Amino acid sequence: MRGGSLVRNVRLVSGLVLLTFVTCHLANLAIGLHSLAEMEAWRATLTAPWTRGAAKWLLVAAAAIHLSLGLYAVAARRSLVLSATDVAQLSLGLLTPPLLIAHVIALATAIAVAPGFADNYGQIQAVYWSFAPFYAFLQLFVVVVVWMHGAIGLYSWLVLKPVWRRIGGLVLPVLFAVPILALLGFAQSGQEVLDRLSSDPAWRDMILENVGRIAQATRELGELQSRAIYAYAAAVAVAFAILAARILRHRLKPVTVAYDGGARAHGRYGLSILELSRLNDVPHAHVCSGRGRCGTCRVRIDAGADLLSAPEDLERDTLARVQAGPGERLACQAQVLGEGVQVTRLLPAYADASAARAPLEWVAEPTAAATESAT
Amino acid sequence: MAGWSLELLATAKLRLEALTLDLARAPEEARSSAEAAHATLMSGMGVRGATYLVILLFIGVAVEWLYWTYAYSPLRALLATPAQTPLQALRLGLKHLLLRVSGLLLFTAAVLGTSAAFNWPPRVHELVVVATVMLLVLRLSWISISVVIAPGRPQRRLVPVAPRKARWLAAALLATMFLLAAGSFLPPIIESGHAHALHFAGALHLAAYTGAAALLFVGAFAFFGGPAARAGARSAHAPLFPRSFPLALLVAASYGVWLLNERAAAVTAIFAIVIALQIGLREMVYFYWRSDDAQPGQDADGGALPAIVLSLARFVVALAGIGAAALALDTPLSSLAESASPWVRIGLRLLGVAVLALLAHGVWIAIRSVVDQRLAHIGPVNPHEPPDASSRLLTLLPLLRVTTAVLLVVLLVLSSLWALGIEITPLLAGAGVLGIALGFGAQALVRDVIAGVFFLAEDAFRVGEYIEGSGNTKGNVERITLRSVALRHHNGPLHFVPYGALGTVRNTSRDWVIDKFNLPLPIEVESEAIRKMIKKVGEDMKADPAIGPMMLEALKGKLYRIDPGVKVFRCKFRSPPGKQFDVRANALKRIEAALKKMDLHFADGTHILVKSPA
Repeated sequence: MRGGSLVRNVRLVSGLVLLTFVTCHLANLAIGLHSLAEMEAWRATLTAPWTRGAAKWLLVAAAAIHLSLGLYAVAARRSLVLSATDVAQLSLGLLTPPLLIAHVIALATAIAVAPGFADNYGQIQAVYWSFAPFYAFLQLFVVVVVWMHGAIGLYSWLVLKPVWRRIGGLVLPVLFAVPILALLGFAQSGQEVLDRLSSDPAWRDMILENVGRIAQATRELGELQSRAIYAYAAAVAVAFAILAARILRHRLKPVTVAYDGGARAHGRYGLSILELSRLNDVPHAHVCSGRGRCGTCRVRIDAGADLLSAPEDLERDTLARVQAGPGERLACQAQVLGEGVQVTRLLPAYADASAARAPLEWVAEPTAAATESAT
Repeated sequence: MAGWSLELLATAKLRLEALTLDLARAPEEARSSAEAAHATLMSGMGVRGATYLVILLFIGVAVEWLYWTYAYSPLRALLATPAQTPLQALRLGLKHLLLRVSGLLLFTAAVLGTSAAFNWPPRVHELVVVATVMLLVLRLSWISISVVIAPGRPQRRLVPVAPRKARWLAAALLATMFLLAAGSFLPPIIESGHAHALHFAGALHLAAYTGAAALLFVGAFAFFGGPAARAGARSAHAPLFPRSFPLALLVAASYGVWLLNERAAAVTAIFAIVIALQIGLREMVYFYWRSDDAQPGQDADGGALPAIVLSLARFVVALAGIGAAALALDTPLSSLAESASPWVRIGLRLLGVAVLALLAHGVWIAIRSVVDQRLAHIGPVNPHEPPDASSRLLTLLPLLRVTTAVLLVVLLVLSSLWALGIEITPLLAGAGVLGIALGFGAQALVRDVIAGVFFLAEDAFRVGEYIEGSGNTKGNVERITLRSVALRHHNGPLHFVPYGALGTVRNTSRDWVIDKFNLPLPIEVESEAIRKMIKKVGEDMKADPAIGPMMLEALKGKLYRIDPGVKVFRCKFRSPPGKQFDVRANALKRIEAALKKMDLHFADGTHILVKSPA
C-alpha cells in the first residue's frame, strides 16, 4: 500500500501551508517595529489574502488535515517510547487547537458583529493591550506553542535533506528571528497604541463601544467554543484510547530481539525493532526518531526475517534512497511478530543527520565498526 | 550556661510564634497578592513584560538549539559508548556533564545578557533574573542527577544505587531540589510585591522546606533502609547499623534547627550533609574499584589507591564543609587568621593540625599498602630455596615501613607543634644537646645502627641467608631490625647479633659453593679406572633430573695422596649454596655402588699391613 508515504507527505504539505501562513502573520507583526501605520499597510499583502477566497479554504483544509493526521499518527503508534523532541512536538501540537479556537472564534465574531473593526491592527492591539490583556497572554502563548511546533517539524524534515548543508546556516537563524522580531513588533506597536489611547479619547470610546459589542456576542458563542473544545478533547481521547488498546492487547505477548554485540531487548509483540531498542536502552541510531525518513536505524536481519512485518512503500523508498543492501530493514518500520529475530545495527549509535543526508559516506563505517566489535 | 539556654529558647519561641502567625495570615495574604498580581499583569505593562519574557525564551532556546546542533552528536556518541570499568564511566560521565552544562550556561548567559537590553516595567527585571537563576538551579540539578544516578543506564552509574531504585531516587532528589529552590527563590519575590505579603512568603517558605525535609526523611528510609539495599551494594562488611536511621536523624535535626533558628540552619545543614557524605563515602569510593566478578563475601580491593582516594575524599569533604559553613556564617576568611578571639585562633590551629594529620595519614596509608602488597606478592621466604632478588626486598621493605612510620610521626609531631604556635627551634636545640648526651651514653647503639645501614646498603646479607659473623655467630638470617640481626643457628638457638659486633661477615649463601671430599681406596686400585669411574658418576648425576640442576660443575676426582696401603682420591664439585650436602650424599652413594660393581671396596684403614720386601 502507498498509505504511509501518502499520509506523511500530506501531513508535511499541510504543515508547510500552515507554517507559511503563520510566518506571514508574524512577519506582518514584525513590521510593527517600524510603525503601526506600516504594519497596517503591509496587512493587505501579508495577512489579508489568507482570509479570503481559495487561500482561506486552503488554510482551513490544511488545519483540518494536519490536525486529523496528527491524531491519526498518535492512534497509529504502537508505544509511547518518544524522544524528548517528539514529546515536545506532540504536546505542542495537541495544545494548539484549543488555544487557537478562542482566537479564531473571537476574530470571526468581531468580523461578523463589528464590520471593519477587526481589519485594523491598531484596534486589535488596543484590545489586547488595554481592554482584554488576557487575550494578549493567550496570543503570546499560542505564538510560542505554534512556532516551536512548526520549527521542530520543519527542522527535523529539512535537516535530513542534502540541501540542508547549503541552507541550514540560513534557515536556523530565520527560524528564530521570525518570532523574536514579531514579538518585538508586537511590543513596539503595543506601546504606540497605548500612547494613542491616552491622547485620543474619541478613538478610545470607539474601541470601547466595539469591544462591548464583541464581548456580548462572544459570550453567546462561549457555548460553541466549549463544545468545540470538548469535541477536540474527545478526538484526542479516542486517539489515545486506540493507542492504549493496542498496548494493552499485546502486553502479554512478549518478544525478544538479539543484537550484534550480545545485547538483547525484550518487549511486546508488534513493537518495531527501534522501539524495542529504545525501551531497553540499547544504543541505536535514529535521527528522525522512527518516522522512516532518515534510514539511520537500518539493520541487517541475521535471523528471523519472516518474523517481521513486510516492508511498506515508505520503508522501501527510504532503503532505496540510502542504497541499502539485501536483507536490510529500517528498524523503525519492521515490527517484531515472533521470537528469534537477530539483527546487526549498521550505523553507529552516534550517527547524526549527516548520515541521512549522505548515506554513502556512512556505509563503510558500519562494517568497520562491526568487525571491530566482533574482534 | 543557663542564661545562654534561656536565650536560645526565647529565640526559638519567637520564631515559632512568627511561623504560626505566617500560617494564620497566609490565606488572606495569598488572596490579596494574587489580586495584586492579576491587576499588574492584566495591563499594558503586564503584556509588555510577558512579551519580553517570551522573546527572552526564544533567544535562549535559539542559542541552546544552535549549540545542540553541534553538541548533539558527541552527546549521542558518549551515551552509546559502553563503559567497561567504573572509572571509565566516571570519565564519560564528566564529559556528559560538561556537554550538557555548557548548553545550559549558554542558555542562561543568553537570557540574562539580552534581558538587560529591554525596557522592563518596574521590578520585572529582578523577577526575570530570579526566575532564570531558579531555572538554572533546577536544570543543573537535573543534569547532575541524571549524570550521577544515570537512571536507565546502570553501566553509567557513578554512585552505588540499586538499579530498581535509580529512577525513583532521581525523581525524589529532583522534587527535593524543586521544593528547596521554590522555598528559597519565591518568597523574596512575593515579599517585594505590591501586596507586601510577608506572611504568605513566610508560609510558602515554611511549606516548601517542610515538604523537602519530609521527602528527604522518607527517602532516607526508602533508599537506605534495611539489608536489601546493602546486599545490592555488594558490601563485604557484616551488616552494620542501618544507615537510614542516622540519615533520617540528620534530616530531622537540620529541619528542627531550621524551625527554631533560621540562622543556624545553614551550618547545621552543611554539617549534616558532610556527615551523611562521610557515612557513605567509603562505599562510594570503593564503588569505583569494584570488580564485577568478585564474590559477594570477598573484598574487592584495588590496592593502595582506593584507600588514598578515600582519605583524600574524606579530607576534601570535611574541608569543603568547613568552607561552606564559613561562607554561610559570612565569616571573612581572610581576616580570620588575625582574629582576636582565642577560640577562633585555637580552632584554626587545630584545623591545621587536622590537615597535617590527614596528610600524614594519606602518606602512611600509601606507603604501608604499597609495602604490604609487595610483601604479600613476594610471599614468605623459603629457606630451602636459594635467595634471589626478592629476598633483598623482603629484607629492606619492613625496615622501610618502620622507618617511614617513625619519620612521619616525628615530622607530624614537630609540624603540629609548629602549627599550634609552639616554637620548635629551642626544642630542636634542646634535643640536640640531649642527643649529644645520649649519644655518648649510647655510643654502641649508634655504632650498631650505622654499621647496620652499611651492611644493608652493601647487601651483605638478606633474610634467609646463612651467614657467619666474627665471634662464632652463625645461622640463617631470620629478622632484621634497625640495630641487630637475628640468626637462627642450624641447631636451633637464635642469636641476636648487634651489627656493631657482627664484624666480618661470611655469607655462605651467595652464588655457589665448592665441596670436596676424599675417597680412601686400597693401594692396588688402578688410578685411571677410578678417575674415569668418578667422572662417569659425575656425568650420570648431571643427567639425573633430580640432582642435575643442583650441580653447577660436574663431579671430578683425581689421585690426591698416597699413604701407606691407601690411595686417597679427592673429589670436587660446585653447586648452589646449601645444596652441597645433598649432592655429596648422592655422589657417595653412587660411587659406592660403582665400586661394588667394579668389585672394589674402600680401604680399610684400621689395619694397615706393611709387607717387608723380603
